[in-house]
Amino acid sequence: MKRRAFNVGFTAVAALAAAASVALFAAILGTVLWRGFDALSWSFVSEGMRAAGAEGGIVYQIAGTAILVLTAVAAAVPLAAGAGVWLVMYAGNAAKRAFEATLHAVNGIPSIVFGLLGFAFFFELLGLKKSWLAGGLLLALMILPTLVVAFVEKLRSIPQSTIHAAFGLGLRRGDVVRTVLLPQGVSGLLTGTLLGIARAAGETAPILFTAAIFSGATIPTGIADNPVLALPYHIFVLAQDSFDPAMRSGMWGTAAVLVVLVTCASALAIPLRLKIGEEAARE
Amino acid sequence: MTAVVCLAVGGAVLYLVAGSLTALRQEGWAFFTTARWSYRHGEFGAASMLFGSIAVALMALLLAVPLAIAAAVFLSEMCSRRVRVALKVAVELLAGIPSVVYGLLGVLFLRDWIAALFDRAGVDALSADTLLTAGVLLAVMVLPTIATLSDDALHAVPRVSREAARGLGLTRAETIATVVVPHAAPGLIGAVLLGFGRAVGETIAVFLVVGRADNRELSLNALFDAGQTITSKLGGSETNIAAGDPMHGSAMIALGLVLLTLVLCATLAAEGLRGRLAGAR
Amino acid sequence: MNNVPRDLINVRNLSVRVRATGRMLLRDVSLDVPQNRITGIIGPSGAGKSTLLKCINRLIDLVPSVHVTGEVLLDGVDVRAKSCDADDLRRRIGIVFQQPVTFHGSIARNVSFAARRLGLVDKKNEAQVVEESLRAANLWDEVKDRLHHAAHTLSVGQQQRLAIARTLAGSPDVLLMDEPTSALDAASTAIVERTILGLRKSKTILVVTHHLQQARRLADFVACLCSQDGSGTLVESGVCETVLLTPRHAETRRLVGIVG
Repeated sequence: MKRRAFNVGFTAVAALAAAASVALFAAILGTVLWRGFDALSWSFVSEGMRAAGAEGGIVYQIAGTAILVLTAVAAAVPLAAGAGVWLVMYAGNAAKRAFEATLHAVNGIPSIVFGLLGFAFFFELLGLKKSWLAGGLLLALMILPTLVVAFVEKLRSIPQSTIHAAFGLGLRRGDVVRTVLLPQGVSGLLTGTLLGIARAAGETAPILFTAAIFSGATIPTGIADNPVLALPYHIFVLAQDSFDPAMRSGMWGTAAVLVVLVTCASALAIPLRLKIGEEAARE
Repeated sequence: MTAVVCLAVGGAVLYLVAGSLTALRQEGWAFFTTARWSYRHGEFGAASMLFGSIAVALMALLLAVPLAIAAAVFLSEMCSRRVRVALKVAVELLAGIPSVVYGLLGVLFLRDWIAALFDRAGVDALSADTLLTAGVLLAVMVLPTIATLSDDALHAVPRVSREAARGLGLTRAETIATVVVPHAAPGLIGAVLLGFGRAVGETIAVFLVVGRADNRELSLNALFDAGQTITSKLGGSETNIAAGDPMHGSAMIALGLVLLTLVLCATLAAEGLRGRLAGAR
Repeated sequence: MNNVPRDLINVRNLSVRVRATGRMLLRDVSLDVPQNRITGIIGPSGAGKSTLLKCINRLIDLVPSVHVTGEVLLDGVDVRAKSCDADDLRRRIGIVFQQPVTFHGSIARNVSFAARRLGLVDKKNEAQVVEESLRAANLWDEVKDRLHHAAHTLSVGQQQRLAIARTLAGSPDVLLMDEPTSALDAASTAIVERTILGLRKSKTILVVTHHLQQARRLADFVACLCSQDGSGTLVESGVCETVLLTPRHAETRRLVGIVG
């Protein structure tokens, strides 16, 4: 009897914990969307900011985030593609392990340290002042591990038999990469990119010192001394003055936009990841 | 291409180490043991911030780990495949929410709740921006990470082990407690370590609710008071100020180095444990 | 045959269907298993032999993707009835898998792993039960000096005998063995076979094997499971010698003919 009671209790506790976690997620997402919904309107996403965020819209914040994310992706995708192919096709075992250790390490670096190093490199060393390019490149470095891991996971799920067959036909390594690895691995790269976009869009710390300002910027015209506005930074500044009720609407609206953007990007990656997981399991 | 990345990482570490030397040479070990930070007076003792970072992370783990592992047990052992997939998706989306949004929720909700808690508990506090607040907020943030990684670890336990235990007549709960969890222990510890790393490294959310007060004493009472973590210091305006003064700048870099070391140790230890999981038994 | 044993287990019209695809892993299998004898279950791979075993001790319950119909009577009582406690059933029926499973901890702890939790041993008689089980599994002499060493330091053959000892510690009446020697070398196989033969007359044993020679060495009775139209069906059963030397069913003939 005691054993049966333990069994039932154990199950109940575990189920409760799972339910609580789901409820937490629903509450967080729900609160942001609910409160932000009021602030959302066409003018909110198409107009510029007025009165330091108390009025107006966030169009330039959206633009700024878009510029940063696109820069990051443009830089990270080729790097990740190269790294992935190298890891799977060319690297020896020791090099492979060293690189994977480095990837894990980079993934673990706190975003503020990224921000500081970026500050030191772009701001002090290169004298760039605040620049969208600096922020974008820094974000690229930050999301690189995510892209590489997703890409390599997909590459590793390509059956060895396919690769051997390609070699057996007389193709050289470069050709095999071009005709087999890249086409079949693209979905992994895409998955990683979507996840990378989600991450890059939401990060504040890396762009804190390198690219973002609160007001005054619109679309950059050059590279150096061309900061941008950004959604997460906007929320960050407003949140520090949270006692002002006039700011609330702007805070929630921006948060809602950001959360929708990030969640959609992550959600789009899910069906791809499930498919890759199944294929990997079958191998 | 990959060589560039490796070089960049190596270069960054070297920069941090080199940059910290000035300040560390002046302060010596006192950098880590003195709780007196005042750049105006040229004093750089980071003990208060070290305490803050670790205290906040430990509080977060205390709250999050039991919940996360219990949820992971449910996910891995007790629900159907479809439900598990759905829940894992939900948990991952939760993990993807930007930290600034968590910070916002902390500022607009958690703060008030903690203030009410203080009132009811009779704690005398100026505001609800405290180390405790940051700890609770971080608990919510690291929960998804620990849960999903723990689930991976539990799920990796071979099916035959469970069948053998059930075949002996053990109940499901007994099987989980005496066979599955011990078998998955390295992976579970790895998950907790990664949660620790994330908690220590989190800047934005902590910045908004921790109070950002320097030179607090290192005691349990300080948990209910405003405090400072390494990350909240680095994320603040002092970084910009420090750019001008070499000693100050070096001290900030030293802080960054300490943070990086803490997080990297936790991360690499965790990955080692989780990797070992794949090869063992 | 003057000592005709009674049947301890009666399988009646057992069918196992995969819910999603409708495929029958087992179709209408009926089998009588005599008490305190060794019954071999032979047949080609994929014929549902392991599934049959798992139905007897209801380990099949752990697989929600299949649907089971039919009866499994243990001593006249249907084990698949709601009133039957699956956990208790599994204490009375022991199972050994093809892959030797070792739990964390010492050799001694492995043997008494379940027995301890099920309250079958207490501090006083635990050492005795451990020794008896290890002796019955033909492992005692090799490990008696290192009972507190970690179990995973044993060789594969020893681990399998440890698994058998662990099962025996619960004093089950029935022993299910799913290809117990497939993962072992010839020497370990011989020892395990000797162990199984030693347990005959005191336990009802079902051994799944795809080595006909092993069946001939071990089994008193044998049942042949073959895959017909993709489902496992019982094609023939009876006294081992009779079935293997003069098989009546075409499938059995094919099976015996292939390996000889």
